[in-house]
Amino acid sequence: MALRRLLAGFTLLLISGICFAISDRASTEQVSARLVASVDSVAPGSKIYVGVNQRIIPHWHTYWSNPGDSGLPTKIQWKLPEGASASDILWPIPGRISLGTITNYGYSDEVTLLSKINIPANAKVGEQFTAHASVEWLVCNEECIPQEVELELNLPIEATARQSSEGNSLIQKSLGQLPVASPWSVQVDSLTNGFNLQLGLSESQVKQIKDIWFYPADWGVIVQNIDQPYQQTSKGVVINLQAGESKLEPQQNLKGVVVITEQTDTGLVATGFNIDVAPKPAQINNAAEISFLSALLLALAGGLILNLMPCVFPVLSLKALSLVAHAHQSPLQIRLQGWVYTAGVLVSFALLAAVLVILKAGGAQIGWGFQFQSPIFVLAMAYLMFLVGLNLSGVFVIGGSIAGVGSSLADRGGYSGSFFTGVLATIVATPCTAPFMAAALGYALAQPAVKLFAIFLSLGFGLALPYLLLANWPRLQRWLPKPGLWMERTKQVLAFPMYAAAVWLVWVLAQQSGANSVVIALGGMVALAFAVWLYDTTRNTRTTTERIGTTSALAILLVTLALGYSGLNEANATEKSGATPQADQNWEPYSAERLKTLLAEGKPVFLNFTAAWCISCLVNEQVALSNQTVKDAFGSAGITYLKGDWTKRDGEITAVLNQFGRSGVPLYVFYPAGKNANPVELPQVLTPDIVLNSITNTPVN
Amino acid sequence: MFLRKLATSAIVALAFVGINAVAEPVVDQPAPAFSAKTADGKTLDLASLKGKTVVLEWTNNECPFVVKHYDKSSNIPGLQKEFTGKGIVWLQVISSAEGKQGYVDGAGAIKVNKDRNATPTNTLLDPQGTLAKLYGAQTSPHFFIINDKGTLVYKGGIDSIPSSKAEDIPKATNYVREALNAIADGKKVPNASTKPYGCSIKFAS
Repeated sequence: MALRRLLAGFTLLLISGICFAISDRASTEQVSARLVASVDSVAPGSKIYVGVNQRIIPHWHTYWSNPGDSGLPTKIQWKLPEGASASDILWPIPGRISLGTITNYGYSDEVTLLSKINIPANAKVGEQFTAHASVEWLVCNEECIPQEVELELNLPIEATARQSSEGNSLIQKSLGQLPVASPWSVQVDSLTNGFNLQLGLSESQVKQIKDIWFYPADWGVIVQNIDQPYQQTSKGVVINLQAGESKLEPQQNLKGVVVITEQTDTGLVATGFNIDVAPKPAQINNAAEISFLSALLLALAGGLILNLMPCVFPVLSLKALSLVAHAHQSPLQIRLQGWVYTAGVLVSFALLAAVLVILKAGGAQIGWGFQFQSPIFVLAMAYLMFLVGLNLSGVFVIGGSIAGVGSSLADRGGYSGSFFTGVLATIVATPCTAPFMAAALGYALAQPAVKLFAIFLSLGFGLALPYLLLANWPRLQRWLPKPGLWMERTKQVLAFPMYAAAVWLVWVLAQQSGANSVVIALGGMVALAFAVWLYDTTRNTRTTTERIGTTSALAILLVTLALGYSGLNEANATEKSGATPQADQNWEPYSAERLKTLLAEGKPVFLNFTAAWCISCLVNEQVALSNQTVKDAFGSAGITYLKGDWTKRDGEITAVLNQFGRSGVPLYVFYPAGKNANPVELPQVLTPDIVLNSITNTPVN
Repeated sequence: MFLRKLATSAIVALAFVGINAVAEPVVDQPAPAFSAKTADGKTLDLASLKGKTVVLEWTNNECPFVVKHYDKSSNIPGLQKEFTGKGIVWLQVISSAEGKQGYVDGAGAIKVNKDRNATPTNTLLDPQGTLAKLYGAQTSPHFFIINDKGTLVYKGGIDSIPSSKAEDIPKATNYVREALNAIADGKKVPNASTKPYGCSIKFAS
């Protein structure tokens, strides 16, 4: 096929060669080319526009100066009389042609590629000015054919030039399609993985936009075959561009053309604007883009708040209580305990940060709380919570001694006990994304490794701080009540939040891996309970019995873990997406496609990104989003409520979270009615009033 | 003891999350693993080539850009001969879907190569376009070079002058030769990611 076309092209070339008289026109099977000028005659010392006009048959295209993922730009080589010179091609704004994974920039139907020619001052009136162009192009539909034609234009040299009526109309049309300097302020913020191109359009101008696209001048600066999402902001319109294969060097400008297609009274009009701007580091203009120092402080505050989370609090209050029990220890020992505990927390947070850095380096799409997207991890956490609960209930006691008031988890005498309490506190704290942490962690994940570590350590320090203060400040210890039986009772009471946490985790697991995983988890818990009971009852009997008891307990534990692991893998393999819509459900599952359609129609949308393991998400849904008044308001305002579930890994949702500078759920966004309306981000803690206010007070366009 | 063990194993569990993450192949990162049918009817696993430098060359014998580097110049056949002689594994990949430009079956691929004096180590048949999508291959020709440790060290075009004319070949920097020579010398590939040029991959529509 291609070869035949190629031959046809060559034949045409041959014929035109044989005829000898090279004309201003030449055609191939796909393209009719014609050389036109803005004048019918030229004057010495003047400048004229000439253009190579290409008429292309339907479904075929030729290329722009940057052809995109494949293709070649059209080339023109001029042969001009002595003293004359031609400019480079002046490219009219291109269109984009997408085919599968490839996006090209080029022209369909018709284009006139312009050049400016200087007529020498010594050109003799009465003679002919001959402009000869060898034009080479690649024309493609799905297949591509390289073609080459020779075009020649003879213009009489006269004292005053005569305007051409026909040629000039093509040239004027093309001049109107050349990109111009931007009348608006242009700013380019460089992000970790691309650019935000900001144009200072007014609000009314932004509303006219039907399409906006940045055509890079060079290959590889941005990824060509993906969407360029844009948003209206207080400063105009911001287009998000993803960095491509060849990164800009520090001193290089971002160059290209932005084409804005507007709705006008006479139809759609596309205008191109030249961009040649040095990228700046991202500006602080929303909650997620905070400074390093405030991120550190926020992380510290977030860490402090973690102490109050339902799963962390029991562990830490016990640790505090141990201070009371350790009243016999010297202040120095107590102080050291505090520091060792802090070290435990910090080491765990450093480990966590290291894992994140490694995953990030591997190119994984991750966010805070991501570890809960693994069913194995959720199961392990459920077991851990359950074991801590059993320990608090007094089913088993760790350590060799039964002397003293309950030598349990949190008040094991040694420093290693303190260290591992720190580790434990970190592990149980991970599911609770406290409100202050979201912004700090979102920031941290977008930072280089060193800053990410600093923020995580700051978070850890916040978590460790209350106990550290208590241990170092004897005055504070005086506020603690005297030891006694109440301590044992408190411990027993604190077991129940742990059981509740385990129940919740099993529920999360059921969402992830189906009903079978519940049996695996609960069966495992029975086995664990048996194992610790066995361990505890045989513990202080004769040595052989103790040894047998401990060994079998350990064996049961290992078998349980192994069975849980393989069972879950199987459950995962057979699991089907079990989201069955319910009759009274007022939300639809999120998909990027659906959101795009709704926004294109200008419909209002409420977006909720949630996960079964995210406690604050569940609370918000219960308290605010399931509230009847809110539901009614959604209904009467015609708001489509889209819910995205991040319980399992979902790159599409992670990408949206990143777009809003978040690294994890929850994320609530309201898109008011009207096309290109500004999305409104809601806080991470919702009340019915907050939701109602944001959907009613947002100016509806 | 239990708690301590559990605590450590829970932290270890963290490390296993997200390892399955799929991303476009990135230079200096491990090349995506694959196994594919070859023109001689066998199956080839990338893992089995560990310890060798592997060149993946997307091709389409009817594409004018491929014709430039094969029929009109013997540029690529020359590279194949030179570097397979030095122990490098050169794999052509044909991702044209059935009925599209450049589609050939195993026998067809062998015949086409014979006619052009092309001597790759083997030819991978990828009519579903799976391999092309895995590697983000966009054009024919498009090259990916994997070093002996399984790391992607080059992705991009054959040379520095994107054109369909064989006359441009002597003037261009041949990026594939440059990369293979650098690898042989134990040096870093100077231009590790370049613009590929050629025909688009003809995926099934």
